[in-house]
Amino acid sequence: MKTITKPAEIRLYYGNWFGIPGQYKKRRKRCECLRTENRLGHPPDHYGSAAVASVPWPETGQTLIVTSWKSTNVLRRLLLLMALACACGPAWSAGTAAGTVINNTATVDFLLAGTPVTQTSNVASITVVERVDVVVTLQSGQVIVAPGEADRSLLFTVTNTGNGNETFTLAMDSVLAGDDFDPQPAVPGIYFDTDSSGDFTPADLAYNPGNNDPQLAADAAIDVLLVNDIPGAVVNGNVGRSELTATSSTGTGVPGAAFPGLGDGGVDAVIGATGGEAAQTGEYVVGDVQVDIIKSVAISDPFGGTQPTPGATLTYTVTVEVMNTGTTSGSVLRDPIPANTTYVAGSISLNGGPLSDPIDADAGELDTSGAPTVVVRLGDLIQGNGIQTITFAVTID
Amino acid sequence: MNHLIKNAVLLATFLAASLALAQEKGHLNVKTVVQKEEMTVSESGERETRLVEPDTVVPGDSVIYTITFANISDESAENVVITNPVPENLTYIEGSAFGPGTVIEFSVDGGETYGAKDELTVPDNGGTRTAKVEDYTHLRWVMQNDLAAGSQGVASFRAVLN
Repeated sequence: MKTITKPAEIRLYYGNWFGIPGQYKKRRKRCECLRTENRLGHPPDHYGSAAVASVPWPETGQTLIVTSWKSTNVLRRLLLLMALACACGPAWSAGTAAGTVINNTATVDFLLAGTPVTQTSNVASITVVERVDVVVTLQSGQVIVAPGEADRSLLFTVTNTGNGNETFTLAMDSVLAGDDFDPQPAVPGIYFDTDSSGDFTPADLAYNPGNNDPQLAADAAIDVLLVNDIPGAVVNGNVGRSELTATSSTGTGVPGAAFPGLGDGGVDAVIGATGGEAAQTGEYVVGDVQVDIIKSVAISDPFGGTQPTPGATLTYTVTVEVMNTGTTSGSVLRDPIPANTTYVAGSISLNGGPLSDPIDADAGELDTSGAPTVVVRLGDLIQGNGIQTITFAVTID
Repeated sequence: MNHLIKNAVLLATFLAASLALAQEKGHLNVKTVVQKEEMTVSESGERETRLVEPDTVVPGDSVIYTITFANISDESAENVVITNPVPENLTYIEGSAFGPGTVIEFSVDGGETYGAKDELTVPDNGGTRTAKVEDYTHLRWVMQNDLAAGSQGVASFRAVLN
């Protein structure tokens, strides 16, 4: 499904379709109104009859009501597009502050027996109440760790997406089902990223429930770290997860649940779409491959000896071996031809099998796109593959 | 002489009294009511909208303002125009203004001038562009006929809380 970026406006046309400036080509449909006389010619960037109305693109959450079109297909497509455009945007921002009073008065002007009169209505008043919403987003990607490592952190952001001030309590859970190991919280486990480093440092303040629960204004956010130790008995590729939960202190519940008087300034608080609580899970992955790479050279001079004289041939041997239970994924050996030497054509071999110099289907070549470099693709290697031996030769200039 | 002065005083008193009465009573009864629109999905999956008290309005909710104006005098009211500002923090919902027997116009300049929505422009980067609902500052309903004594009219519009 193609994501449509939010255009500035959409234009409504008669008939069974609509047009978005710049995107009409993807939505060409036959205009059912062609039989009417209202065609004013084709505007340069649209197909079909001229626009009969331009309406602004609805804001997230708004509903655009199309009242003058007989075809319901237009409305359906509009709603679909709204969903697409809205779904790909960020979570909506707080909106009008809780406690805001909105007053409205109507005025009527008229003539009575020729005398102008102005009258005003009563005041219709709305008080905006507080909507309680929170979002937790994971900032870290997969964090690669080694067995037994201490103090590895996952970074999250907690955002108050409601429209009033709110205090949140935080909780951490590292004993989750479905992963390979349980990270061990480095007590107290939850820290604020006080120095904004994105990582756990001595400057970061520990979270102390009930004493420094984060207080966030509408739309404000705070960075939180979950810090765990990695157990020793894990192997390469094992995954361990740790979850951060943020809960509003005013209350949680189904969207629409009301907490009378508990909003900012004593207005009511109403739980929003998030239920007043949010959680996200971060992931550690054990990446623990030990690879031994050893390079040696044999010299053969034109006189039958082993002196590195001009014209002598240098044969390089590189061995690659995985030493533990890890896997090297998609490994590639790259070895540049040394200065003052010239590559001996056709000399690359892998495990005794020759590899052709040009780039082709085999595992290696001489890469001449830059400085000449021997390239050999070794693929995914484990200990069981044994020693991989690569050789190639050059002559001293 | 006394007789004339007495009548004049009586007349003045009478006029003053009736003016006072007229001001107290007003000529039209104008009321405005605001309600929140609550969308529910019925068991059969149909969307329904109910109008409820605006007790718990949060950003994103829609409200509807309904203005009723009744002519409680014994004369016809002519050139009746109902004007309503678009409150701050609310955005008018396109096409939602309603008023039988009226022409509906909008203002983007604080009520100085009014026009049909397609005619309205606002300054934009040195030029102008067609006004959008976010630019509207006022709405007005211009009655096309007189409001006869004893009759009433209604005007309404919907808006979304920002």
